[in-house]
Amino acid sequence: MILQRTLTTLGARSMAVARDAGGVFVLLLEVLRSLVPPSMDGRELMRNLYKMGYRSVPIVVLTALFVGALMVVQLAAFVKQFGATALVGWGTGYAVFREVGPILIGLMFSGRVGANNTAELATMTVTDQIDGLQALAIDPIRYLVVPRVLAMIVCLVALTVIGDLVALIGAMAMSQVVLDIHPLTLWYSLVDNLSTADFLHGVYKSMVFGAAIALSSCYFGLTVKGGAVGVGRAVNAAVVGAAVSICFLDFLMTYLTA
Amino acid sequence: MTAQRDGDAGGGAAVELQGVTVGFVSRRVLTGVTLRVPRGGRLGIIGPAAGGKSVLLKVIAGLLRPDAGAVRVLGHDLAAAREREVAAVRRRVGMLFQNYALFDFLSVGDNVAFPLVHGGAPPEGIEARVAARLRGVGLAGSERKLPSELSGGMKKRVGIARATVARPELALYDEPTAGLDPVTTSKIYDLLRADQAETGGTCVVVSSDVAAVAGFADTIAMLHDGRVRWVGPAAALFDADDPLVRSFARGEEREGAAVLARAVAIEPPGAGVWS
Repeated sequence: MILQRTLTTLGARSMAVARDAGGVFVLLLEVLRSLVPPSMDGRELMRNLYKMGYRSVPIVVLTALFVGALMVVQLAAFVKQFGATALVGWGTGYAVFREVGPILIGLMFSGRVGANNTAELATMTVTDQIDGLQALAIDPIRYLVVPRVLAMIVCLVALTVIGDLVALIGAMAMSQVVLDIHPLTLWYSLVDNLSTADFLHGVYKSMVFGAAIALSSCYFGLTVKGGAVGVGRAVNAAVVGAAVSICFLDFLMTYLTA
Repeated sequence: MTAQRDGDAGGGAAVELQGVTVGFVSRRVLTGVTLRVPRGGRLGIIGPAAGGKSVLLKVIAGLLRPDAGAVRVLGHDLAAAREREVAAVRRRVGMLFQNYALFDFLSVGDNVAFPLVHGGAPPEGIEARVAARLRGVGLAGSERKLPSELSGGMKKRVGIARATVARPELALYDEPTAGLDPVTTSKIYDLLRADQAETGGTCVVVSSDVAAVAGFADTIAMLHDGRVRWVGPAAALFDADDPLVRSFARGEEREGAAVLARAVAIEPPGAGVWS
């Protein structure tokens, strides 16, 4: 009896995950279809770029600063033990550019912008605003989803680049304080040991993460059911979906390019 | 059943529904609904709550496709049409939603201007048309406000302004006066009447305010349990042969309450209380 119930629950959950994954994929196809020929509401795009990108800069800068500093604090014990001061810049830059920067800023972006986007679209859905758009012969995918997807990809790439740079500044400051390493020493260690490909690896990841967050947040926002309670559930599902997607896609991209 | 205005030759119907059936996962909302509204006609739809009135409007607007039956709106078969054709019909239709459906990220002015901006109207005339329309619904000078700053009644009036600003051939109003005081209700119906007289368009109004809608519409249809229970001239509504329709229209306590009770699937209170 317990086994049957467990299997039933497991089956139902699997079906729900498969349905949502399929729904996100269909939404991706609809977005791609809406881009041919390329036409969208420019004002919506600019509004979203401002809201999602510009207003996220302070929190990204603050987080990245501490993350960069934290990397050095974690490395400090080993650097002191082995005297590997020349590798601090490489270690910090490698980790920040390729993994920590895109993932951490992606997750933060998902929590701030993705959740907000889901709440906004879900509220529009439950208050008939999406129907209102359709009643005015406006395609909600073209008008609402496409500008948001593009804005999120552009913003997350830009924020990741900003975050990378700020994290390095944090690392430089902390390595001076904790390890007495001059910032220029760290900088030369970084540029001598890292290539443009390391930097671009993170940029590519942030593009993919941006698309995943956008599609997840738009999908759960547009398919919400159950009024105000449903809005909360949709936000929850979107954030969880985006986080899982980010981790999975990160693994996939790292594995395939290793 | 036919909702046809006196004098209509029967050639140009704005809305023709034939055996329309709509169901959702848990229940059937509309069953075999057949209605016809001639061009220039004014149809009022009444009935108990949860009787399928709003769903019927969404079917006419092309927002819901029926499970069965035919939906012809402004000469197009929406049940079988491709999305592009449905969108083309929607541009000729104005709709007011029950809970306004104002875009909360746009100002009042931008909301009202939306059908004009996205409908290809010349940009130079839009501001004046929006101002005139807002003046018409008693909200002059409120262009810069956000929907969140308005009361429910004001939102309703902005919704009416948005639905009518492009002078649609077919206007669909879902509870246009719910939550409004009697004076504003009267003004709103005067406005709808004046609009219609000017444009010659067709109106379909869903309303719980039976007296007000009967004063506006030339034909009334009553929906009950998802079916058309009665269709006839508005003037005959209060003396309809069907006792259920008559008592509902008159708001008579015993039978009207029973109708409502069945609609919301609760047992009516004991006869002693209601006799």
